Amino acid sequence: MDQAALYTLLLGAWTTAWISAVAIAGGVPLGLALALLREARVPAVGQLIVLYVSLGRATPLVTLVLFIFVGAPLLGIPLERYTAAIVTLLLNTAAFNAEVWRAAIRSFPQEQVDAARAAGMTRALIFRRIMLPQIWITSLPGLVNEMTLLVKASPAVAVIGIVDLTRATNRISAVTYEPLPPILVAAALYLVVIGTLVRLQRLLDARAQRLAM
Amino acid sequence: MSLRFLSSLVSRRTVLGAGLLALVLVPAAGSAGSLKEIQARGYMTVATEDDYAPFEFVEGGKPKGFHHDVVAELRKYAKFEIRQEILPWTGLLAAVSTGKYDTAITGSIVSQERLQVFNFAPPIAGATHYYIKRVKDNRIRSVGDLNGLTVGVQAGSVLLSRLPELAAMLKKSGGKLGKVVEYTSYPEIYEDLANGRLDYAVNGIINATALVKERGNVFAIGQPVSGAGFHAWPVPKANEDLLAYLTKFVAHLRQTGKLAELQKKWFGTTFPDLPTQSIRSFEQYKKLAGLE
Repeated sequence: MDQAALYTLLLGAWTTAWISAVAIAGGVPLGLALALLREARVPAVGQLIVLYVSLGRATPLVTLVLFIFVGAPLLGIPLERYTAAIVTLLLNTAAFNAEVWRAAIRSFPQEQVDAARAAGMTRALIFRRIMLPQIWITSLPGLVNEMTLLVKASPAVAVIGIVDLTRATNRISAVTYEPLPPILVAAALYLVVIGTLVRLQRLLDARAQRLAM
Repeated sequence: MSLRFLSSLVSRRTVLGAGLLALVLVPAAGSAGSLKEIQARGYMTVATEDDYAPFEFVEGGKPKGFHHDVVAELRKYAKFEIRQEILPWTGLLAAVSTGKYDTAITGSIVSQERLQVFNFAPPIAGATHYYIKRVKDNRIRSVGDLNGLTVGVQAGSVLLSRLPELAAMLKKSGGKLGKVVEYTSYPEIYEDLANGRLDYAVNGIINATALVKERGNVFAIGQPVSGAGFHAWPVPKANEDLLAYLTKFVAHLRQTGKLAELQKKWFGTTFPDLPTQSIRSFEQYKKLAGLE
């Protein structure tokens, strides 16, 4: 392993980090929106969301990303590969996030809502001021857990030519025929990415707990 | 969770399935162009691989290899722009068959299964399969010694689908093919061969030579375990005029001596006896390869 190989790995780690970050940034609010829509019990919409969540959770990422990448041009949508990768990861993580959010919404005490209503708050205000700050705290561990899973599942998008961290190790070992050194470095880099996420969760959690006091 | 984990191990069949699903859902014309469409839009999209040394690989962030030089020649030869995209083998054939790319300039090996979906431009290299063993393994001195030993090959590859030829060779000497282990790519196979989980591996002569050049202290090339075979570029069946165009391009490379020059540069040897016509059917392929 020389400097060029190390550079390839760092570049791969960066790709993994930023596409995961964009997917997470989109997937967390999308998951919340889906969970809210589903709990609103609008006929048809609710069933559609159930279908989406089931499909999203059951489809292997490799299949989904390839389907989106090669399928979109056939529908007349020219999709660049990074877009295809991010859309795939986002759709996938949103399906899992929706379930995390939904659990938090369902277990939210009705008494608080009733009390807020009695005080004359509107539904939107109740959600913003009363519910969201609390379900955010309940959901955080589940959401971060899903984020780490997403990062670890992201090598699947390499199938459409994205050189993520895992793909970078393949490229190096295809030339050196020694896969172990790049894999060890990649493992360390994954630890850094996941470690950052977990650390971020602890910080957010501590802050949220302090606010809740 | 376990599903996600499985997804990283998903088989090539699933991948092809997704490609086929895309085809079934949208039977309308794809973006892959006939030569006329390519000329009209002014560019051709070709897919190449990134971990198939010495055909195509990436070193220090730069694409290199036999086909990288071929694409450079194609750029000089073609009157339209050539757009090259690099993607892994797993998604490559599916993307070409659904029309995401016009063709794949890659070292794929001609086979019966692939001939059902693709025609092939005239071959650019021979692909006889050889067994690869550990240098220190004294049990294996010839093909006959492979009797009952564990072999590693790539899943979904021609290396795998032509193992029956080795089984037939072994049967003649009263032996049989041992356990076959399938992998997603060759680096893992070589590592398992080095650490003793496998007794031998099978790969094309060019890849085997490249391996031994780099790690000759660990690996050694044995004897052929298949009949003749060819590395050639797949073109979707429907795209006749593109096939004709690439056939002319290969002829151009041959006449100018560039083909032999690049073969010598990247493979360390030349293949003067390759067929010069495109390959379109299994019957024709059998005849060219001298198979039964």
